[in-house]
Amino acid sequence: MCLACRFVHEMRRRLLTCLLPALISCAFAADDRPYVNDKKAPEDRKDIEAIQSALVAALPQVRAATVCIELKEGSGSGVIVSADGLVLTAAHVSSGVNKKVTVIMEDGTRHQARTLGLVADTDAAMLRITDKGDYPFVEIDRGNSARLGDWVFSLGHSGGFDKHRGSVVRLGRLVRIANTTLQSDSILIGGDSGGPLFDLTGKLVGIHSRVGRQLQVNMHVPMSVFLDNWDRLRAGEFIGDGPFAKKPVKGSGFLGLATDARKEGGLRVTKVGNKSPAQEAGVKEGDVLLTLNGAPLATRAQMQDLLQEMSAGDEIRLELERKGKRETLTLELGAR
Amino acid sequence: MRANRIFLVAASSLVGSLGAQQSLESDYRTTGSAVTSVFEAQRAVLQTSSAVILDGRKEMIYGVVISADGHILTKASEVADLNKLSVTVDRTNYKNVKILATDPQWDVALLKIDAVGLVPVVYAPTSEVAQGTWAVGNGATSRTKRRALAGIVSAKIREIPAAGGAALGVVLNVKGKELGIDEVADGSGAQEAGLEKGDVILMIEDTKISKIEDIAGVMKDRKAGSKVKVVCRRGKREFTAEVRLSAKGEMFTDTMNRNDMMSGDFSKRRSGFPRVMQHDILGSSRVTGGPLLDLEGRCLGMNIARANRAESFAIPVEDLKALAERLMNQAAAGEKPDDAAVTPRGEPQ
Repeated sequence: MCLACRFVHEMRRRLLTCLLPALISCAFAADDRPYVNDKKAPEDRKDIEAIQSALVAALPQVRAATVCIELKEGSGSGVIVSADGLVLTAAHVSSGVNKKVTVIMEDGTRHQARTLGLVADTDAAMLRITDKGDYPFVEIDRGNSARLGDWVFSLGHSGGFDKHRGSVVRLGRLVRIANTTLQSDSILIGGDSGGPLFDLTGKLVGIHSRVGRQLQVNMHVPMSVFLDNWDRLRAGEFIGDGPFAKKPVKGSGFLGLATDARKEGGLRVTKVGNKSPAQEAGVKEGDVLLTLNGAPLATRAQMQDLLQEMSAGDEIRLELERKGKRETLTLELGAR
Repeated sequence: MRANRIFLVAASSLVGSLGAQQSLESDYRTTGSAVTSVFEAQRAVLQTSSAVILDGRKEMIYGVVISADGHILTKASEVADLNKLSVTVDRTNYKNVKILATDPQWDVALLKIDAVGLVPVVYAPTSEVAQGTWAVGNGATSRTKRRALAGIVSAKIREIPAAGGAALGVVLNVKGKELGIDEVADGSGAQEAGLEKGDVILMIEDTKISKIEDIAGVMKDRKAGSKVKVVCRRGKREFTAEVRLSAKGEMFTDTMNRNDMMSGDFSKRRSGFPRVMQHDILGSSRVTGGPLLDLEGRCLGMNIARANRAESFAIPVEDLKALAERLMNQAAAGEKPDDAAVTPRGEPQ
């Protein structure tokens, strides 16, 4: 069981063993279900206090596992689901496979991470924190136990990371359930994408995906989408086609420099494009490119062939010689 | 706000992909009548202790009743431009409304109506409640009945710095080694202090001003709501004005980002507050100004801004009490109200 949720779970189990022993034997996944979920609406002070006390108890642990995901283009949210740093998020946040991103914890600590697989047509994605550590994490609702009308809460770094504010929590109910989408009236906004939706016991039931203009339209990807694709996501597969992530297109990568072959091997840089990925990585006119991802460079055609096999967003390693000294630069190909 | 990228896709084609799946009837949703009816005790407090501020027949915004004889706090920037100001408390409409004092920093005005026997709010002992705690605020209202909406305290209490930094509220032009005023922003501290087009700024506090960077240097560590001494030259006369600083992003056209576009309406003044508590209740900017209640019906704070669809701000009770006292003292001392902030400015556009 997840460390983060053990406290809440045990508290609830203790309550249940004295109050409702019968339920435990008859209902799978119902062992810690708050009774208030089975009322059409809360009826009195006791009911609304039951929602509040469950939420307040669950919040600190799940918030510690909720992260901001920073990319070059901006930021989204995510949630850690294993002690070694596996993170679930939305496909339109990670937006690609095997990309470097930064994960920011609630206290502002930053960690390096790399995107794993994604499901482009349902907006699910996984990434891994590459810094070694023992991370706080949440428990996934594996039993698909969320029901229509259940009380849920959202966390996320709305509008970006703000240390003085922290992640933002919002309450709501599940108002629609479909195969690959949950809708809640827990209100989301930009920056929340990829963040977690929890039930009142602090179990992860969804990942924030998109909103409509109306306040009631807040969409989440259910856990079943992640669980059904788990191994392929972990293996870094790009699953499905659009609309939440574009499949990399071979030959779409852009480096932004011109070269001439040198007699003794290598390619001399004759021009570096203004604001090109090459310029931003620090490539200068006169540098001699020796290898690309370890492959020795001898002719322009050969380098073009290598680039032709790659796509925008791919990371490349360039070894070069500048004024007699060797240097290695890492850069991400731009879009052509 | 500081959002630089929006990951949420607000595309109706994608949102509509649920089709005819299981759906919860609207009455049972968080803002639905079956849910809000359980907050009747808190609604009853709003009925008597949350005022409705009207312009003619139109309900514009809410207020917090703080005395039995008709003192009401409301959001200053929302009442500044009203022509036919009136106030409804419970079912009674009061036509004779005076604006006694305003605090530009908190954006709060103290109103007075000729009333007796009103029920002022009871202040909660602290605003430091756990996140996830229920809070209740105004929903839409009818002529006779207030409605309640419930949500939760949803982030840390903190300062909301002025959007775009603190500024005088002037557009400048450089004439050699002098900075002349080209334009004075409406509602700015510069306007309140009487600065005019053509004035030349010579000095701010103790810094001589000869280029734009000099002003930026002076403003860097200052906050909206604070005041600075500005030495100006008009014609041949030199004079010193005390100018209140406000958020640059709110005096000049605040560029809409995508979060703003997906938010519906948001409060015009939504930054530059010394301290706020955050919650998830307000559905539109028109429901600001009223009290934020706890489950006991006590006032946790006063709703001061809907920043966006997911984030609303309230002045925490400690600050609200101090502010109310300050404004009452100011009114009692007969200080002139802050003219520029309260004088109706003609027909709205």
